Amino acid sequence: MAGILVIGEVLGDNVTKESLETISVAKGLSSALNQPLLGALICGGELSIAAEQFDCGFSSLHLIGNEGLTNYLAQPIVAAAEALIAKLQPSVVLFPHTAKTRDWVPQLAAKLGTGLAMDCVDVAVCEGGLTVRKPMHGGGVMGQLDVLGNPALATVRGAVAECAVPSRGAKIERMEAPYLNQSPRIRHLESIPTKSGEGPKLKDAKTIISGGRGTGARENWHLIEEAARVTGAAVGCSRAIVDMGWLNWNHQVGLSGTTVAPDLYLAVGISGAVQHLAGISNAKIVVAINNDPEAEIFSRADYGVVGDCLEVLPAFIERVAELRKLAGPDQANGRQGLNCNT
Amino acid sequence: MNIVVTIKQVEDPIIPPTHLAIDPSGKRVRSSSGAPRGMNGYDANALEEALRLKEKHGGKVTVIGLSDESARKTLKRAIAMGADSAILLSDPQWEFLDSAGIAAVLAAGVRKIGHVDLVMCGRQASDTDGGQVLYWLAQMLEIPVASPIIKIESSEEKALVVHRLMDDEYQRLAVELPALLGVSSEVNEPRLPTPKGTINATRAMIPVWKAVTLNVSGAVPRVNLKKLEIQLRTSKAEFINGASGAESGRALADKLHQLGLV
Repeated sequence: MAGILVIGEVLGDNVTKESLETISVAKGLSSALNQPLLGALICGGELSIAAEQFDCGFSSLHLIGNEGLTNYLAQPIVAAAEALIAKLQPSVVLFPHTAKTRDWVPQLAAKLGTGLAMDCVDVAVCEGGLTVRKPMHGGGVMGQLDVLGNPALATVRGAVAECAVPSRGAKIERMEAPYLNQSPRIRHLESIPTKSGEGPKLKDAKTIISGGRGTGARENWHLIEEAARVTGAAVGCSRAIVDMGWLNWNHQVGLSGTTVAPDLYLAVGISGAVQHLAGISNAKIVVAINNDPEAEIFSRADYGVVGDCLEVLPAFIERVAELRKLAGPDQANGRQGLNCNT
Repeated sequence: MNIVVTIKQVEDPIIPPTHLAIDPSGKRVRSSSGAPRGMNGYDANALEEALRLKEKHGGKVTVIGLSDESARKTLKRAIAMGADSAILLSDPQWEFLDSAGIAAVLAAGVRKIGHVDLVMCGRQASDTDGGQVLYWLAQMLEIPVASPIIKIESSEEKALVVHRLMDDEYQRLAVELPALLGVSSEVNEPRLPTPKGTINATRAMIPVWKAVTLNVSGAVPRVNLKKLEIQLRTSKAEFINGASGAESGRALADKLHQLGLV
């Protein structure tokens, strides 16, 4: 048997956008190798809504859902994936690159003793496995790697492909999660949601306004929030802002924070460290406001304003509010929404 | 509590791509301005957390690094920060290992040290951004692994409660020792070397364990690095130059509105 297997991820009742993007990447491999496209969802609870959303041209879709998988821990999901791989014998398995997969997929690779590359921006086939491109050195270097093994494993970075479109018609197969006879040595006590405040989430936002050290002082931060409110944007920040304790780390944009892919990324007072630039490499339009004309951020920007953000931003906010008012009530509260229809 | 911390020596992550170069092997990135390499940032966080656990529970903190001789300086810095001893794992056979191969060497090192309650690693290295070695290492040592850890909430001799970062939440986890933790930068601010530590570091003998010492040869890689490319960006920014900051702000709003972006 052979096949290209995509193991997707479910959040709440819905399959994630990154899972659908990963299917698009897998489709390319499926045609190149002339092998069937297989799908799987492994998670706690009811999977029927997610399964419908995820059914994007698979010949078979495998669902492993039980309560034991509700609170994420690697051990049960690795065991389930191992059982599924033993059954299907795929030649390649792809996963969206998320906080969960970057934890459990390397454990799966180590158990299977097979090759894995993570956070890939490009995945193609090569003799004996996959050839992938992945950012290194905080995005300053691109590495090309051959990933060998049967199956060869890769996690795919968000927003490097379009979402696949549901087509229905896969043969749905439900599987029991394997019974774990060892008592777990890591136990889940509690999950605490991180407060991301008002407005859309960074990961899915169409517009993001991010601030950095160049905003000067904490009392100026309201300008970033005001600009985000008036444009319907999510609030992001650089590492420096998190380090200073102004915002929680779930606002941090960059390689060690969130990788984003908005239509508009407005960077205010952000110098543009490589790790930060790596996190915005999939933004469509980048605008930078910075008082240092030499700031690295301008090398990635499409539009730039060299100036003091305390002068630029208030006028910007006022003008956007005016323009929106002119454009009518539909736009008055900003254009929120997600990049994919999930 | 006996703790082993794995330390990798890396190029300074703040070096911009314009000051990076690919070395003749084609498989390594080096600073083109000769900036010194140092301790991977996340590994420094792991070491700091290990030192705090030692201060509370007693025991020893041993650091190990797989590298060439040049890593002695970085291992000495770990001793200067407060580690009890350091071991360099070095052999030409191990020069271009993949994550699994590196983990096999580290696992043999940890086993040789013996009586280890806790292995602490950085969540990933800032050069390769691979994030795999710790998981292979845990698998080979047959101990549970949790990563990325942003807080150790409480610790006892044989158990920890830790906070692990997820996409939209963090988890509180109870971890039985022995275990391996992958440590993230949110956890602490690493200490600077102390004067006493610096004296210890100067005097410290750092043994070298080779392939014959550990009986680990270079394995067949599962992942082969084929090519590295420096990502140079050329500026294409269109600058908006108003008569004042406020003028520019208004002009920017107009521009983005025309483009349908705000």
